[in-house]
Amino acid sequence: MKSSVCLSIFSALLLIVGESGARENARPATPPNHSAAAAKSSSAGSASGPPQLVIPGARRSFLRMAAISQQITPDEVLPLLSRNVFIHGYEGTSRETEFLVLLRRYVHQARELAALAAKSDMIIRVAKCDQAGPLLRILGFRASAGCGDPKISLKTEDPEKGFVTIDSGFPLPELEHDLQTDKPFEYPISSSPVPVLFNETDWTKASAKESKTDGKDLLDTILDDPGVARLYWALSRMDPDTSRFLQSSIGIQKLLPYGAVLDFYGREICVRDGRVQLPGGENAEPAWKELVGASPASPASFVFRLLAKDKGWLAAYFDALSRAGGRQQAYFTEPGRLRQFYEGLRAPDPSSPATRGSFRPAPELLRIVTRLQLNENGDPLIPGNLDVWKDILFRGHESQRMRKWAARNRSLNSPDQLVEILFGLSRAPIESETLQVYMTVSEIDGRRPPGRHLAPATVRLLARKFAEFGDQYPTFAEFPELSDPSIALFFDAAEKLTGTPMFMRGNALGIFQANMGIWEILARQEQISTSQLDNSWQQFIKPFTMVKSAADLFDAGRTSLDELVQYSTAKSKASQDEIIELLAGPVQESAEAKQIHQDVANQIRSVMDDQRLVSLDTILTIGDALAEKAQGKQPPDYVNLLAGQTHEFEMPRPIFSNGERSEWAAGIYNNRHTDLQMHSDIPKVLKSPSATRSQIDDARGQLASFLRDTVVGLNYAYYEPPGAQALHNNPLFVRSHDFAGETLGGLRTVWQAPIILGQGSPAGGGAHFVGSLADLPYALADLEQDFISPENTQALIWRELVPSVLTAAIVPRWWNVSPLELHAIALYQRAGEELLTASEKDEALRGKVMPILSGRMLPPETWKVEQALRSGQILKLLPQIMPADTFYLAAEFQQEFPDQLAAVGDAGRELAALCRDHPQQVNWSRLSHDFGTPHPSMAHSYGLELLNIKPMPPMAGDASRFLAESWDSPNLYWARLADQAGDSPAMLTEIAPELTRLMVRKIFATDLEDWPALIRAMHAAGEDFQHGKLASLTPTPVGPVKQ
Amino acid sequence: MSRNPFLSTVVFLSFLLANVRPAGAQQNPNIHVVVNMVQLNVAVTDKSGNYVTGLKPQDFAIREDGIVEKPATFAEGNQPARSLTDTPQPDVATTPSNDVPGQIDEATPETLAALANGALVYILFDTSNYMYRGFVFAQDAISDFIRSLERADKIAFYSYSRDLNRASILTADRSQVLRAVRSTVAGDEAALYNALLLTLKDAAKNKGRKVVVVFSNGPDNSSVVPPEDVAEFAQDAGVSVYMISTQTAKLEPVSTAVFDRMTAATGGKAYFAKDWKDEQTAFASIRDDLDHLYSLSYYPKPNPNGGWRAITVELVGDRYKKCKVRTRKGYRPRPSRFLTDNNPTVGGLIPQ
Repeated sequence: MKSSVCLSIFSALLLIVGESGARENARPATPPNHSAAAAKSSSAGSASGPPQLVIPGARRSFLRMAAISQQITPDEVLPLLSRNVFIHGYEGTSRETEFLVLLRRYVHQARELAALAAKSDMIIRVAKCDQAGPLLRILGFRASAGCGDPKISLKTEDPEKGFVTIDSGFPLPELEHDLQTDKPFEYPISSSPVPVLFNETDWTKASAKESKTDGKDLLDTILDDPGVARLYWALSRMDPDTSRFLQSSIGIQKLLPYGAVLDFYGREICVRDGRVQLPGGENAEPAWKELVGASPASPASFVFRLLAKDKGWLAAYFDALSRAGGRQQAYFTEPGRLRQFYEGLRAPDPSSPATRGSFRPAPELLRIVTRLQLNENGDPLIPGNLDVWKDILFRGHESQRMRKWAARNRSLNSPDQLVEILFGLSRAPIESETLQVYMTVSEIDGRRPPGRHLAPATVRLLARKFAEFGDQYPTFAEFPELSDPSIALFFDAAEKLTGTPMFMRGNALGIFQANMGIWEILARQEQISTSQLDNSWQQFIKPFTMVKSAADLFDAGRTSLDELVQYSTAKSKASQDEIIELLAGPVQESAEAKQIHQDVANQIRSVMDDQRLVSLDTILTIGDALAEKAQGKQPPDYVNLLAGQTHEFEMPRPIFSNGERSEWAAGIYNNRHTDLQMHSDIPKVLKSPSATRSQIDDARGQLASFLRDTVVGLNYAYYEPPGAQALHNNPLFVRSHDFAGETLGGLRTVWQAPIILGQGSPAGGGAHFVGSLADLPYALADLEQDFISPENTQALIWRELVPSVLTAAIVPRWWNVSPLELHAIALYQRAGEELLTASEKDEALRGKVMPILSGRMLPPETWKVEQALRSGQILKLLPQIMPADTFYLAAEFQQEFPDQLAAVGDAGRELAALCRDHPQQVNWSRLSHDFGTPHPSMAHSYGLELLNIKPMPPMAGDASRFLAESWDSPNLYWARLADQAGDSPAMLTEIAPELTRLMVRKIFATDLEDWPALIRAMHAAGEDFQHGKLASLTPTPVGPVKQ
Repeated sequence: MSRNPFLSTVVFLSFLLANVRPAGAQQNPNIHVVVNMVQLNVAVTDKSGNYVTGLKPQDFAIREDGIVEKPATFAEGNQPARSLTDTPQPDVATTPSNDVPGQIDEATPETLAALANGALVYILFDTSNYMYRGFVFAQDAISDFIRSLERADKIAFYSYSRDLNRASILTADRSQVLRAVRSTVAGDEAALYNALLLTLKDAAKNKGRKVVVVFSNGPDNSSVVPPEDVAEFAQDAGVSVYMISTQTAKLEPVSTAVFDRMTAATGGKAYFAKDWKDEQTAFASIRDDLDHLYSLSYYPKPNPNGGWRAITVELVGDRYKKCKVRTRKGYRPRPSRFLTDNNPTVGGLIPQ
């Protein structure tokens, strides 16, 4: 697992910690206005504001040590500290990690410094060099020479103290400079008051490790008691009205045992007007009352029972259903189903708590409630029919416990029963294959129009082949035009190729998958017409079903490629340059779009060059010559020259001997493929006048390995992530792709999405992929992400987030998008902002706006909007609202109140006119397709779509990608910038990846769910773009984004 | 009439690629190649390891793939480089010779000016978990090193763990660099070779003498590029790599092998320090090296080799027989037709 929270002990220090630029001024011009008393770490309430706690030392230093972003507001300090303490502070239940040890040391040092400064108005003063001793002792440093020596420098005396001094950012160079020049050194020890949630005593008294008695305070309580820390964090993230209600009605002491439940599942709990807001609304109230055992009108009792029941599973259920979209929520919360599905969820293992582990268990629960496909009647869409699923369910490869549980449901008579079983399967300790099959196949079927649903036989086939080929299914979901025979043909070819002899299997799988990848690109870019998708699919696959030898494979690969060219250009053949032009996108008309198209093509060419791949033209020419030679015709001399190119590739100058590689990278380093290429017989056979037919065939077979690398290279190059380095600096990267699983024993299937092998293994020849080309855009982004350098000191690239964010910028291309659409994207966002602004003074409008927003925002965020509207502060809040939210707001509002949007402002008026005059171009479906992002993990498809779901929580395993895939905002925002700059839609193809890379560099987040940090980074990247700071992107100079 | 030889050294030659295009393929574009200069940092020591100073250009024999090359510029230590020839010898090889910026610099007045200045020093500091225990002492040693680099032109300070942090970009302001050193925070996985590649790429964008000094505890558990590619890039870019490590690395044979071999290939050196005092000694040794490097350059004579080109530098005359010469071992011309940010090797070949 690659979760940041599971990084090694020191990682917590650096998850985000950093400084956005200049250090905090070590010596402000005016002395700080803090008394000695204030510097003492203590709580201090003020008459007008909330209670506060004084953090010892500078806030910046404390945030560094506590692994908290420098960009947060004071009210976030204690919640985030609490989070980091319970997540990073302890191994097991009580053993402190190095993170916590260092944090404690820092607090101790900060208090010592404060005591030292207390003598002089909270300013550390070293008037002369010879007075530096007491300060240096606290800091753990010593002077290297006597005072007066201009070369005096500071050396570490006590490494433990010295480490804290450095890590916390004490201005050591300034002190050193003043000692060298014998000038007075002054450093204000500014104490940092931060708001406390409720009252300090609520927490200190509740803690089993009460420490107030020996002079310690809330800070010490949080550091000492992970249980308190977790509850503090959980309640801080709820909407403030609700958390205060829980504190006053239930009390911290009684809530303490449920800190974990509230942490995982508390954010959707919302108490308003004396009632708990329920998923399903009033209609579901009786059912919830029965399930929970308390009335929502008695919120304290309801919430307490909700938290306590079934070890947190009822709270998990409540949370999941609250996140479901309108149609799904209505289905799941129908009174009869609500209990039935809950039973399904609870029954398989009532003894296992819903709070076990670092991440919430049963992550598939969220996929079920957000992605269950419903038909036009609001009932579940069952791919095939129930009988099919009866068979599939009870043959599933589930754990014994799950099989036993499922056996009780043998009388499967209704779709609801099937859904109930799905809920149960979501509890499987290891991801349930049956559930995966259902969700994937229903995604495939759900996109098909009525009358073209999957046949039961195809559903059975898909289920039967899922274990081996499931990672390839996103293609079927993305292209619903593929018929049942086309799907069957894929399996036919794939199985035959998998069964080829080992010496040619890697080439066979590679060429086939690479051509399939090219088909997907051309289909997605609409270069193969929709009406021809099914035919073209079959035509490019068919040649592979007849492969018997390596020479056949070469011929099949070539014929297949020609078919793709034929379907997309009407020409029978194309050169490599022409294929690259094709991949770069459809032919463009405007000069600007042509230039962008050329840039994209050149980028692909640069990867092909840096990978030093033999040109397709060369390969095919040699292939032709060999075919003619077999007919007795001697090839012309130039072909012999070309054949020499197959031997031109030189391995990088070796650093390791073969023996060392065997010893230090056993099983990882494997360049058999390249070695074979470098020793191929092709030039010899071509030249030899006496070459036999068999030798000629063998030579053609050897060409297949070159063909594989070149067509695979085209796929890699097309999906190059911004800032990629491996693609340009490891010439073995493409060649090393292990399609046949030769380098990895435990590969589940050679058709699985690629995994990275060789990372962090210096003798392994560099990281490479093992597996198929499925999910290639994500895999490349995953591998290349760490070449993006964060702008902030020691901030890291979030592995759970960044690959998906990059993928969302790489896959979409905007060649077929009209300027009108681009403008509409900007207008929707601006109209959403206008709706919010107008709602400030228009309560009736607010009553329409807020229910829409609550369908996308979590209650704490809706609470913020509500407060801002009430207090007239909405303009200040707008930059913190996600572009996808304002977009959604305007789109839904236009849908629900089509006559009212024009009245809210200029953008609304213009948008309403566009909707009226160009409904085909600016409707939701069209814009969702053109400006959406791929969701390969959540929706099992690389098809572009705006999902309209609430932000997903962090989860483990495959579901770890849900969170990032639930963020649709960046492309919408980049589109708005492009529209404002007067750029063409095609320009987005260049802008989006670069701006996304810039945004990633700027992310300065404390935790995965730090959405405000992402929004800040996105806006900052946009500002750089607008101010022309990106050399590669030069927008028309404009002002700030219109609000 | 006096003429500036370095303005005239940019010679454009157009030629047709040697390979013959298959029927139906697009015609190859005519390619222009900018004739460039290969730059070498050369350390010469006697049998006792003392630096040999006062050598003249004629004392050096440079060969590329066995072809004798004529030095074009020469400098010792931090002295300004001086031109040795008015007319550069263009590479008219049919295989396009090409360039990583810095590997082969265009001979412009700027280039010469860059050669005239001191070295550009990039310091790359390991802040991964592996460095935790000795972190503060390492900072002390690096700070001393920076203070001691009085004659270096500019210094950049980067740190790395899993990701690279450009804490202080190239600057002449030593206090800025010292602040950057003290701003680093320890922790996380170690991706040395990823970070070194990015550092080399930054260095390669500059003209003049460039070195990268790496302070690392050794193990790499996160890089995706292998050290051999990084070493090749360093050689192509003409950047010498020095590495200081600790005994911990010495215990780890992979790191030991890489550090020794990569530094040797680029003309740098590896040090394995026993303690922090030893670290300071190693830094002092690097500083000495920088003060005593000879800087030579040449324009490659026609060379049909489009792959790895081996460079040897020897001293002429019996009295230098026992001297050791250290410089990079070669470079690989990287023909690349398409300019990208990711590919700073581009620029020499311009499609017509």
